[in-house]
Amino acid sequence: MGRGYLIRKVLHALATLFFVVAFNFVLFRVMPGDPIALLTRSERLTPADIAELQAEYGLDQPLPAQFVNYVGDTLSGEFGVSLRSALPVSTLVGERVWPTFLLVGISTVLATVLGILIGIRGGWNRGSRFDSRTLYGSMVLYSMPEGWLGMLLLITFAGTLGWFPAGGFDTGETTGFAAVIDVANHLFLPVLTLTLGYIGEYAIIMRSSLLDTINEDYITTARAKGVPDRLVRRRHAVPNAFLPTFTLIFLSFGYVLGGAIVVEVVFSWPGLGQLTYDAINQLDYPVIQAIFLLTSAMVIAFNLAADLTYGFLDPRVRHA
Amino acid sequence: MPEPQEEVVPTPSARAVAWVRRRRTVAAHWATFRRSRQGVVGLVILCGFGLLAIFAPLLVDETQLEPATATAPPLHPPSLEYPLGTDNFGRPVLGLIVMGSRISLMVGLTATFGAIVIGALVGVTAGYFGGRWIDSVLSAITNWVLVLPWVVLAIVLSSVLGRSVLNIIVVIAITSWASTARVVRSQVLSVRERAYVERSRALGAGHWHIVTRHILPNVMPIVFANAVLTVALVILAETTLSILGLGDPQAVSWGVIIEESFSAGALTAGWWWWLIPPGLAIVFVTLAFTMCGYALDEVLNPRLRQR
Amino acid sequence: MRRTFGNAALVGVLLLLGLAPMALAQTGEETGAEAGDDEVVMRVGTILDLANDNPWGVVGGYDWGVATIQYDMLLQFSDDDLSPVPGLAEGCEPNEDHTKWTCTLREGLMWSDGTPLTSEDVAFSYRFVLDNSMTVYKSYLPFNPTFETPDDRTLIWRSEQPTFAPDLPPWIYIVPKHIWKEYDGKDKKEIKSAPNTPSVASGPFTLTEWERGQGWTMERNPYFWGEPPVVDRIEFRVFDNQEAMVQALKNGEIDLADGLQPSVFRTLEGAEDIATQKVVSDWWLNLAFNFGGQSKDADPHPALHDPAVREAIAMAIDKQEIVDKVYLGFANIGDTIVREASTYWHLDIPEDEEYPYDPDAANAMLDEAGYRDTDGDGIREDPESGRPFELLMPASDETTGAVEAGQLIVGYLDAIGMDVQLQAASDGKMNDYWGSGDFDMYIWYWTGDPDPNYQLWVFTSGNCGSWSDGCYQNPEFDALYEEQTTIFDREERRDVVFEAQEFIYEDLPGLVLAYPSWLEAYRTDRFTDWTPAPGENGYLLPGYNYNSLLSVRPVAGAAEASSPGLPAWIWVAGVAVLGLVGWRVATRGRRERDLEA
Repeated sequence: MGRGYLIRKVLHALATLFFVVAFNFVLFRVMPGDPIALLTRSERLTPADIAELQAEYGLDQPLPAQFVNYVGDTLSGEFGVSLRSALPVSTLVGERVWPTFLLVGISTVLATVLGILIGIRGGWNRGSRFDSRTLYGSMVLYSMPEGWLGMLLLITFAGTLGWFPAGGFDTGETTGFAAVIDVANHLFLPVLTLTLGYIGEYAIIMRSSLLDTINEDYITTARAKGVPDRLVRRRHAVPNAFLPTFTLIFLSFGYVLGGAIVVEVVFSWPGLGQLTYDAINQLDYPVIQAIFLLTSAMVIAFNLAADLTYGFLDPRVRHA
Repeated sequence: MPEPQEEVVPTPSARAVAWVRRRRTVAAHWATFRRSRQGVVGLVILCGFGLLAIFAPLLVDETQLEPATATAPPLHPPSLEYPLGTDNFGRPVLGLIVMGSRISLMVGLTATFGAIVIGALVGVTAGYFGGRWIDSVLSAITNWVLVLPWVVLAIVLSSVLGRSVLNIIVVIAITSWASTARVVRSQVLSVRERAYVERSRALGAGHWHIVTRHILPNVMPIVFANAVLTVALVILAETTLSILGLGDPQAVSWGVIIEESFSAGALTAGWWWWLIPPGLAIVFVTLAFTMCGYALDEVLNPRLRQR
Repeated sequence: MRRTFGNAALVGVLLLLGLAPMALAQTGEETGAEAGDDEVVMRVGTILDLANDNPWGVVGGYDWGVATIQYDMLLQFSDDDLSPVPGLAEGCEPNEDHTKWTCTLREGLMWSDGTPLTSEDVAFSYRFVLDNSMTVYKSYLPFNPTFETPDDRTLIWRSEQPTFAPDLPPWIYIVPKHIWKEYDGKDKKEIKSAPNTPSVASGPFTLTEWERGQGWTMERNPYFWGEPPVVDRIEFRVFDNQEAMVQALKNGEIDLADGLQPSVFRTLEGAEDIATQKVVSDWWLNLAFNFGGQSKDADPHPALHDPAVREAIAMAIDKQEIVDKVYLGFANIGDTIVREASTYWHLDIPEDEEYPYDPDAANAMLDEAGYRDTDGDGIREDPESGRPFELLMPASDETTGAVEAGQLIVGYLDAIGMDVQLQAASDGKMNDYWGSGDFDMYIWYWTGDPDPNYQLWVFTSGNCGSWSDGCYQNPEFDALYEEQTTIFDREERRDVVFEAQEFIYEDLPGLVLAYPSWLEAYRTDRFTDWTPAPGENGYLLPGYNYNSLLSVRPVAGAAEASSPGLPAWIWVAGVAVLGLVGWRVATRGRRERDLEA
């Protein structure tokens, strides 16, 4: 891909990131509720004590100074200290990344792979029984709120049937291989929920993309040339249908994270989603800011990756 | 014998011709739409819920839905008198769902309207001035909004603005307009290059004329299809926000019912009638919008029509 | 490339099959405890998370509970009514004018790392609070006390003014000097974020493991000074929602569920092998009136200053219905401002002296006082200002039952011609309302100490602009408050405290709506012999003291808690099958090409 393209995309990503940082700062200054007063409602403080706490958390300086401090801190990886537990935010957030990564990662991979396969098969055989069944199935799954779906699965499999634990990451009492199985057992239902929640959407996207591609001229040409259907599909249609699919899937990452929050709360899964939910209820600004920044950065990174992959694979762009 | 007089037929004005053409197009689209079974099924379901929402006050005794004045026994399983049972306040669940349709549909339609309007405005402007600095700025803003994690943003905004229906609508509209803007922009870009637009410009037509006479009519169909699909997303978004506890407790939408029943431990306690029906209602309505939306997409997007 | 992928899949499958025997060797039962055969483990489920593990950083959630389990205080709260009884100290004796108290510690006290616990540790802990301005605990050390330790077992507390502070006892955890002295004088953030897992403490259990968002482990302290507990280890697990926690209790994953919602609790009553405990309340649901004066934004309805209006509102609210509908009966009707759990100090207003639920009488009272509906819109107006009774009522959505009670109250006040706008708000927003005074009344909560001093103090005039809800100011009440701070005889003091509570009940700066119970449930087939405190309807788990954990024993022949899940061999088989399928799909290209050849 052209170097110009690469540089442009990277600069664009960095600029977006900067705007997110600035927005982050402004947004949380607008939040209601003085966090100091909130923290100390059940304590007996004099106004002097309150002023002391404010100084401690740097909340007494003028806004521009706070902003400069904020940017500087962010760049050096210093995200401050939780207002709730006085522990460093980077620690709190850092230890939640792995559970969410496991959950979202595995679900996304499963939903993407399976969704794409189903979408290809359905789109290629448009109108077939497989297609109409999977299309309706996909639409029904797409229409289900993930939280509600999670609740139903929780009650059916963990409750009535008792096949899986009712929540949490693990029992904390196993080691080695047994620990892996333990986590797998706890991971099963949340992953199932998220996967079902998104598989429908990905199948539909892939199917539409494939249908778009099928109507292109080069497909007709290939068929006219007598190339077997299987090969037309595999060599021409699918690869070209992949590109727009990729982009759309990357774009939906933001929604997947949103779904993850609800699923984590339903299954008591100790990830970033649960942390977000708790932090917002307790107005733990530093934590919320860090998560907001982290998730935005991840989405930006994903988009950049998508753009670069696109640029690498699509010859039209490569030689631009 | 007097000569048969030639009928004086007034020459139709350009506008009349355009209207006739539009009517015919709409009729043609409708005919195509009717052939899509999923579209029709979706439309029927939507009409059903729409009627339900409109006539809700006539169907339901509203005093029964106020916690203070509800008289039914709380947490009563489904029976003849209460087909879907009652909740913890003694409110009949069926009544809650019927009234809830108003809230859920209103939030869905209004927030979508807001998102579409903003998205279309941004998209048309960006696309029309494609390549110039306005486009760069607007596109940058659009991409930036797309990137923000909408749930976190929505939660934060709800916190700032308070928990009310209006705020939920505002929050969802603000976080949903970007994808519409993108779609609109690319459509405008392609329309802009068409011959008749060039000719119009050559003839000295102003921006406003070109946009309203040429661009908008070509963009509206896509926007419409996109809007219908967006409603589905908005309803799901409102549900997610309500489940996370940000709904307005005095405007009981289906999402709020789910949240209340889940926090009360409904399923474990065996009060399935409280948790399951609202979810089913959401699934049906969202599905209906989705089916209609995809059917519309096939009708209005020429590339998808089966040859 | 496809060939490599196919090969990789094949290798993967073989690896897994190779691991299978190892997996089978450690079968699914491992998901239970990897305990030694006779280790007694208790598993507790809770909805409250641990926010901070060190006693200086306690904020909320389960912080207090954990600190109360592992640390001792000078004196303890008794099991029956939270009166002070010997803790680390056998007793504290005052001199004549109560400015010097002498406390004698028990013999042979030790820390969990084997070091002796002396009066120096106690003095250090108190000085630490004062020197580092630990705001949570400062109020327990009034009048600039100084401490002397003439010997290892004696502590002398000197106060500038007469006080009963040592006897309350001060709710300050005694921490080991040899661990915490390096933090003395440091920045508060550093102190509060000091890691304390594993901890060194003097109580029956110490915190040994903590996984934020998931749970924590406490293990028996071999150097504990009292009767050693039978339980060796307690595993706490955090649940985000009621469904999951109740499921776990029913499944046998946990032995006790702490902090249940009323609706779920009700379904557990009478369930097989499960017993429920409705704990006497240590907080109360508060409807506070605003009298204005906090800031220039404060503009509450002037009629709220009229006692007749407040009394009418009190009579219009059906507290019984709030208890029944919002808490499903698991609460007691509220009356006075001292918590129920402070059983010694709480005044119970006799039923015939309480405000009756009588909306007709309320309407009559308002009519008589001149607040009529002059324009026929169903809402009364204030004759002097002409202002209609349109009241803004925020309600905290983080306080159990506040919003639901608010919904009921909107209806009640509508019946007496007042239009109330309910606004559900997070505690953050509630703080805004509180600080600005931009509301007419609100629904929130109050809690406090076993000793009533703080709860009475909040209603004094001086607290307008800081802790007061609505800037209630009444010099008569202030006098009563002052009086009870000077009386050292417990019974005499109680008389004044009762008077103060009655005064508030009649003057209505707010309404105590309800005393919601804390709800616990446990499996009767696992553990028995709990010691609830205070009293029969007390907390099974701290709570106020850890004695319950000392007395509890496993039921003979009890099963071990276990976690459901698919056994290991199913997982291995499942992954193997997936691997095989993946391999077939991946290599299909090669096979098809071979076919075409």
